[in-house]
Amino acid sequence: MRFLPRLLGVVVIAAAVTWWAPWTPVVAQSPGGPSMASIGPLTFGPDGTLFAADNQAAAVFALDLGAAASGAAQGAKGTDALDQKLAALLGTDARSISITDLAVHPRSRNAFVSVMRGQGAGAAPALFRVDGNGQIEMVRLAGLAFQKVDLPNPPAANPGDRRNPRASVVTDMAFADGRLWVAGLSNEEFASKLRAIPYPFARVDEGTSVEIYHGNHRQLETRSPVNAFVPFTINNQSHLVAGYTCTPLVKFPIANLKPGEKVRGTTIAEMGAGNRVLDMIVYTKGADQFLLTANNSRGVMKIPTKDFATAAAITTPVDTETGGIAYQTIQSMQGVEQLDKLDDRNAIVVARSASGAMDLQVVPLP
Amino acid sequence: MAASCLLALCLLACGGAAVPDAPTIALGDEAVEVHGLSGDTLGTLARGAFTDDEWRRLLKVSVSAEAPPMLGRYAVEGTVVRFTPEFPFDAGRQYAVAFDPSAVPGAPGGLDLVTASVGHPAEHTEPTTVVSRIYPTGDEIPENVLRMYVEFSGPMGRKSGVEYIHLLDDTGREIPGAVLPLDYQFWSPDHTRFTVFFDPGRVKDGILPNREMGRAFTPGRTVTLVIGRDWLDEHGLPLREEYRRTFRTGPADTDPVDPQRWQIAAPPRAGREPVRVTFGEPLDHGLLMRSLGIRRDGEVVNGEAEVAEGETEWRFTPSEPWQPGTYQLLALDILEDLAGNQVGRAFEVDTFDRVDDDPNPQTIMRPFEVR
Repeated sequence: MRFLPRLLGVVVIAAAVTWWAPWTPVVAQSPGGPSMASIGPLTFGPDGTLFAADNQAAAVFALDLGAAASGAAQGAKGTDALDQKLAALLGTDARSISITDLAVHPRSRNAFVSVMRGQGAGAAPALFRVDGNGQIEMVRLAGLAFQKVDLPNPPAANPGDRRNPRASVVTDMAFADGRLWVAGLSNEEFASKLRAIPYPFARVDEGTSVEIYHGNHRQLETRSPVNAFVPFTINNQSHLVAGYTCTPLVKFPIANLKPGEKVRGTTIAEMGAGNRVLDMIVYTKGADQFLLTANNSRGVMKIPTKDFATAAAITTPVDTETGGIAYQTIQSMQGVEQLDKLDDRNAIVVARSASGAMDLQVVPLP
Repeated sequence: MAASCLLALCLLACGGAAVPDAPTIALGDEAVEVHGLSGDTLGTLARGAFTDDEWRRLLKVSVSAEAPPMLGRYAVEGTVVRFTPEFPFDAGRQYAVAFDPSAVPGAPGGLDLVTASVGHPAEHTEPTTVVSRIYPTGDEIPENVLRMYVEFSGPMGRKSGVEYIHLLDDTGREIPGAVLPLDYQFWSPDHTRFTVFFDPGRVKDGILPNREMGRAFTPGRTVTLVIGRDWLDEHGLPLREEYRRTFRTGPADTDPVDPQRWQIAAPPRAGREPVRVTFGEPLDHGLLMRSLGIRRDGEVVNGEAEVAEGETEWRFTPSEPWQPGTYQLLALDILEDLAGNQVGRAFEVDTFDRVDDDPNPQTIMRPFEVR
């Protein structure tokens, strides 16, 4: 970011991992289904569990979709003006909804789209499934089996004061090594947190809390927020590869994230200033693996991963637009705001079209 | 109405010829209702075990005649067919309703559709929400200011503020790229406060963005924060007016917050006069509200805190009168100044040399005597 690695040398990710004492664990299932105040981001576990963040309530839900996991047809078909269609089903207009995330079910390959209907704090969550025929169905949250974990609230020095406008924001989630990894920010402290929550949530007491800092050669500490990340295996070691604001790409090994230890991440690419990673996926093409990132101001980038293991850490100021591992901008993918891997050949995206509508598009992996 | 009901009852009771349907559409509080259906039709519909698609062919409720039917639940209740939407109808929106008598099982085809446009009146039509305050409230900000809080007079919509917040230099020219592109929901839970983060890199000499765009904040000059009117509140209405406030930019603040330099004005015993803590610099309003507290013998002292004097002072009024003896001012080390410098740690440090072992807040205690 500007306050980051372009000026920067090594981004040190100092991830001090500790036990978070006041962690509030789990609400088990209740017959009425999950009571969610908001929905999104989403991510699937390998068994088809849908993890859905509830930012309004600072909680994460694990949803068992049951029969709703699959529509009539495997896969997902694109549709124009998805936002208008969802809004019509919800009895409102496209301006009054926001699509908060898109995730593909690991078995049915149906696309699941989370939506907030309405404007203010009273806006309501909704979840939709798009199948291989393009059929759009709402998944009724009521009645789904679920687990819930509250994100821990930091302690307050004056606990009697209830006027606390602090809120947590989950920016991305991914499942790796039996744990749900949750990146979060707050509307007060600038530092982002990366938390690991073992799943099932019943074992939440083993959870860890991770705080991430950046630093650079110019004595600049950055507490840059992590926007999106993916699990990625490098030399048979599980890593998280994370995109930070403005926009360094950083790798760090999951095994190092142990309570009480520090983790130094390595910046392997600089992807440009004034930018934020919206979503990222990993895919294989031929013999090579690639990272595909959607960005808010720099389009979709294809990044080869073959040098992720050996790439030198960026350790000197980067005084050019980009640095480290080179990427290719995919010109054919414009306006992408949500991105997931549909299958081995295709990505699925929610993209803003020239008309302003949000289209659901199936796009060949570049 | 009563007469027609009596007539219908009589005809049913007498086993006479079937009463023709005369459907009419009405909007109840939470549902669209179809009245005027014959007992035969109602009985057929009640027994019909319709699929959702069959119901939608019979009674379509949508945001416009061309739009697909909206989601909801259908039921026959007494003499009424009722559609209850999955989410409440929007106030101020007209919904298209079409009842197709031909879709009743056994009905002849070609019957005319019964249509209506229904809706609840808009509850809010005039913009009333305004920006009520910006933190920091002081006139001067450091050139490396990290964040501001925008408070509104009422709940706002869900959209982030990044596209509605502009900074102008002292010639009125927009300063590009000063706000971090974090398009998140940085709202307080009640959606009345939004947090704006500025890009700390925009105060550095020599780096590429600043060579291209110029530094965002320049010491000795002014900068004007503009909040656009088109930011929508919870009713989908714009703000009543644009908001502008001009700050004077001071030098960068790169020093950690140092609680040892704070002045504590201890209150007298037996009263509830507030203890006053002055910092010598403005601190972050949001963090101040939860980073400071009072303890006595390790126990929480309950009371009301307030932030005053342009966030340079914190006052605490206990619920119970002060007792003679030693109290402790407790500060969490997450407390920051306007530039993000924390207690004991500047925003910019060389993390090669120093990495915090423990991200949980540490506490700093400053004693004061009540006499």
